[in-house]
Amino acid sequence: MLKMLMLIKREIYDHIAYFLGAIIFSMIIVIITLSATHRSDNHDAPELAVALSFPVIIILIIGFTSMGISQMYADKNKRISAFLLTLPVTRGRILAARIITGILAIVTLFVPLIITTIILYGLLVPPVPVIKGMIFDIFATIILTAIACYCIGLQTGWMTGRILPPLAGLILTFIFASIILIKGFWPQVWLLLIIFIIASVVRIRQKFMKTPL
Amino acid sequence: MNDNAINVENLVKYFDGRCVLDGIYLKVPRGCIYGLLGRNGIGKTTMIRILLGLESPTRGQTSMLGIDSTRLSAKVRGRIGCVAEGHNLIQNYKVSRLIKLCKDLSVRWNNEFFEHLIETFRLPIDRRIKDLSMGMRAQLNLALAMATEPELLILDDPTLGLDTVARRQFLELAIELIQQQERTILFCSHILSDVERIADRVGVLAAGKLVVDCRLEELKRRIKKLQVIFPDKAPENIYITEIINQQVHDREMVLTVANWNRRKQTILDTFKPSSCTEVPMSLEDIFIECTKPAQELIQTGVQEIQNA
Repeated sequence: MLKMLMLIKREIYDHIAYFLGAIIFSMIIVIITLSATHRSDNHDAPELAVALSFPVIIILIIGFTSMGISQMYADKNKRISAFLLTLPVTRGRILAARIITGILAIVTLFVPLIITTIILYGLLVPPVPVIKGMIFDIFATIILTAIACYCIGLQTGWMTGRILPPLAGLILTFIFASIILIKGFWPQVWLLLIIFIIASVVRIRQKFMKTPL
Repeated sequence: MNDNAINVENLVKYFDGRCVLDGIYLKVPRGCIYGLLGRNGIGKTTMIRILLGLESPTRGQTSMLGIDSTRLSAKVRGRIGCVAEGHNLIQNYKVSRLIKLCKDLSVRWNNEFFEHLIETFRLPIDRRIKDLSMGMRAQLNLALAMATEPELLILDDPTLGLDTVARRQFLELAIELIQQQERTILFCSHILSDVERIADRVGVLAAGKLVVDCRLEELKRRIKKLQVIFPDKAPENIYITEIINQQVHDREMVLTVANWNRRKQTILDTFKPSSCTEVPMSLEDIFIECTKPAQELIQTGVQEIQNA
């Protein structure tokens, strides 16, 4: 367990920029949300929210995809796993530590947002179950999308090609974004995302365990 | 308990249809310093990578400390130290950070010994790995591997990039390490004088096969190089088996033979040579003879040097 924590610590330290980015990005959204709430009589607020949502989703998609790519690409290029395997570490643990680190980055981004939303919901919005359910649906979909994008990044980063894999990753990412835009934040979309995440993790594990390091 | 620290059975490895390792059998007993020799690109590193589970074999099985290489647990890996060819350390790390990482992940860590090594090698701990010279990287890699007090130490060309003094220091350390009970070292090197100095068993890889696998003194005893002068032109064939190499120049024949014995001497005597002188052979000479391009004669000769 302690060794696993060491591996996670190593991953976090190596990709600290993503964690700092997640914290800063999260703070910006919280500040914008609080400021928009404070000026709730302002008629521009809904337009502002809509205008912000697109760049936010794009930044999320690019951010987590690039984190996955960066983790795997750095490993492959710098032969990090090949070195780690000369220590009391197994391939399975290296990959598990890597994926946990990615999830932690997603948690780092979303926890402040969820806390802010819960507080604002308690303070300002009347206790309507529909709204409560909607907030849950939105967060669940966005978090699952972030994990799916991260998985695409992991797969892309481990591939050897320079053009096709990133292109395929990019296309897949925008297919997901389009499905969410068309279908909305619904359980059918969650199901699709969960199936994709499980399939991706299984595939990444299979490739990582077999590939020469 | 398995008496062999390393066990290789019928190991076959193909790369893009090219056979690199062709049915290797190897057993390294516990407490042995095994020198694995072979020319560049012959498959020594591939074999080590397969042993460490970094590469999968096409066929065959390998195990270390009694555990299959493809299923080495973290605990077993903790009993194995490794210095890889090219010293693949994490390049963007500072030395101090890499040391901390290795220390934190290791099962055992002899800090006193490690500090002694760092002092001996005069390694700067505040510099990045990529800024270190090749020699310094080699020293750091060695120090990290040795600090874990491994039961089995795998060294793939460990003295590559080391200057003469550092190489000597390393050899002294390796001897110190082997003197501790039950330590086993698998040692690949192109510097045969190093291997000759520390190895007590040697293996020679040539054309995908382990053509030599025996104790060093046994190898030196069993391979003889003879300079034979005939009164007239030297015969083309002298009908002796297990000839590793044979060169004929007019009246002179230089013959390298495995398992020289009285019977072979009698056969040679029937050709009535004017003189027959034994040429002393170092490990380097034996290695060169054994790894010359494959000929039928060489193959039949060297296959007899295995499992002595």
